[in-house]
Amino acid sequence: MTQQARRFPRHLVAALAAAAGLSVALAGCSGGGTSESSGGAEPQTLTLSYQIANSATSPYSVLAQKYMASHPGVTITTNAINLSTYGQTLTTQLQAGNGPDVFQVQGGSGQVQGAVSLANAGLLAPLTGTNIPATIPDGSAAQFSVDGKQYAMPVELLPTGIIYNDAAAKGVGITLTATSTLEDVYAACATASAAGKSLFALAGSQSPNTGILAQLIAQSQVYEATPDWNQQRADGKVTFANTPGWKSTLQTVVDMNTKGCFQPGAAGAGFDALTNGVGSTSATSFGLFAPLGGASDIMSAVPGLTLVGLPVPAPAGTTTKLINGADDSLAINAKTKSPNLAQDFLNWMAEPEQAAQFASVAGEIPIVGGPGQLSPVFAPITQMITDKQYGPFPAQSWPNGQVYDALGTGVTGLITGQATIDQVLQSMDDAWGA
Amino acid sequence: MAVVTNMNTDQALGSDRALKGQRGRGSAGAGDHSGPRRRKALVNYGYWWWALPAIVLVLVVVYVTTASGAFFAFTDWTGIGKFNFVGLANFQKIFSTPALSGALWHTLFLAAGFVIFTNVFGLSFALAVNRMLKTRYLLRVLLFMPVVLSPIAVSYIFAFIFAYKGPLNALLAGVGLSNLQQDWLANPTSAILSVLFVMVWQSIGLVMVVYLAGLASVPIELEEASALDGAGVFSRFRHITLPMIQPSIAIASTLMLVQGLRVFDQIMALTGGGPFGATETLATQIYKQSFTFGRYGFGAALALVLTVIILIFAIGQQLAMRSRDQVGK
Repeated sequence: MTQQARRFPRHLVAALAAAAGLSVALAGCSGGGTSESSGGAEPQTLTLSYQIANSATSPYSVLAQKYMASHPGVTITTNAINLSTYGQTLTTQLQAGNGPDVFQVQGGSGQVQGAVSLANAGLLAPLTGTNIPATIPDGSAAQFSVDGKQYAMPVELLPTGIIYNDAAAKGVGITLTATSTLEDVYAACATASAAGKSLFALAGSQSPNTGILAQLIAQSQVYEATPDWNQQRADGKVTFANTPGWKSTLQTVVDMNTKGCFQPGAAGAGFDALTNGVGSTSATSFGLFAPLGGASDIMSAVPGLTLVGLPVPAPAGTTTKLINGADDSLAINAKTKSPNLAQDFLNWMAEPEQAAQFASVAGEIPIVGGPGQLSPVFAPITQMITDKQYGPFPAQSWPNGQVYDALGTGVTGLITGQATIDQVLQSMDDAWGA
Repeated sequence: MAVVTNMNTDQALGSDRALKGQRGRGSAGAGDHSGPRRRKALVNYGYWWWALPAIVLVLVVVYVTTASGAFFAFTDWTGIGKFNFVGLANFQKIFSTPALSGALWHTLFLAAGFVIFTNVFGLSFALAVNRMLKTRYLLRVLLFMPVVLSPIAVSYIFAFIFAYKGPLNALLAGVGLSNLQQDWLANPTSAILSVLFVMVWQSIGLVMVVYLAGLASVPIELEEASALDGAGVFSRFRHITLPMIQPSIAIASTLMLVQGLRVFDQIMALTGGGPFGATETLATQIYKQSFTFGRYGFGAALALVLTVIILIFAIGQQLAMRSRDQVGK
């Protein structure tokens, strides 16, 4: 027994040593970069990660192919990651030191893969290309820069509003345009209800959808009069709860609900209610709230369907303002083995020709070089875009994702009657400082 | 009374026989003093290193990672970059945030309802298909079938059924109960009850199998004898069946309690935690805080709270069942 007891530690130590060796070996594997080490010129290879929501052709992939064709000897390996897991996958890879060389990020710090959050963590390389500064829309520098250095390059402008089935709406006698007022919308809601339809389809159980609705309304009722409202909130000069524009925004949601603007069962509906309701030639709803580039995806899935983009109208006597911000952007891994190649790739992407091609494939608006030849989807709002009658996503410069979540779930609470306007606004203020 | 006497006698005899058997095996080598010592060494020490790979794997994959998670519960880590120690601040925030307190109560409500209904229905079905019925094997398969389905897939199907324009409301209208039609997943009360229904529906089969295993250990002769003594169905169940399936009750209720406390899939697919947080649980909040909002430290603190709650309830339940078992003896 004594002899056996003496042997125990020796075996144990040997086994633990073996396990430790295995761990070191695994750590060595995971720490590998994307390129082979070199004593001279950097590797002419890049890995490019981006998120996808469906099987449509990705503009990142198209532009990567084009860059390789115009730059012989360069290899770009693309990695499309599902939207639902992208943020987690990217941050895990970056934290582990084996992230891609170039990757898609979102502006600001409201999401896990927010450019500002990643830059503050030292995971992004500052961008140096001469074409790149021009990609930042007016008033959005803080979403892509830290301490005066730009860390992410926006790749498209993303108009967001109502994806609208004009033909079906006209079939029941409803006509809405970019110059319609909120009162026109209420009248149209009554007309649609009388015809057994609803003017809008809402995914009430999905806070991103209810949150977009509130943002679209707030764009005209809060940010049109006070474009720097977010900065004032950050400075502590205003709160959600004491801002009349935010109260009227949520009151508009309540009014739209009581006037029958949403489909029956909207509060518990999922995203399928949007495409099923509007994405059909025999639509039961005439509009949904989303980035307008989504119209192209729906139309490609339903032959014969024509959709256009509209803003959410402001009350009569006030100015309607569109959301048209930059969010999707590209960044460079601070630990890339090919920093010069990555910088050159982004600088090339920022040229007007590439920006136009990217927007064309994505169904959005080029980030530089002007709107150019817009998709027919944007026909009703072309003048607003030309006149720059738009602003960025309000939530983009909010300090964290909880504020937007509080807004989205709060809108659901207003529709179900679980919450009051004051409660929702207070919850947003609470989340701001969380 | 006769029934109880018979049972206790039988149990006592069984225990005595078991003890005699052990003594008998032990006395077989009584003349060889080194025999029992060698056997004891083999049993207690033996080839312990055979289990070493599994032990190391479990230590590294389960316990070290769990300990790491507990460590981050005391930090403000966002999942990227550096972090600071914040002491108990995360826990203070958990218990002072109304939405998170609500998630805790929803978790306890769902767990309690889950334990009660799965056990009641599982035991009822087990009793129904235990003996007698010719179709019992087919019925057992049919009742167990939901268990093998993916919870997330089942939940999406029920989300379709509970939808405002779904089959449930259509059925209600079809049978003249239109007044009961509602937006099942948008009403705070019906939403959490819908989640509970789906959880229970899918797990009844598992509990039934546990109880069927327990019922197989109840001697039919004992029941027949008690029936001859005049014991009715309920009396036989109360005084014979129930005491003899105590181990099954302990297993089934513990499994269902743990499963109920960590419910996640069904909620994410059915309601996403809504409407307005009416179905949020600790598990959904852990996911949202950690992976949606990037508050890993706070999410880890929530996970630690959930782990402690599960431990407390599971140990408490085991103690309760053990003391009841001792009273039975």
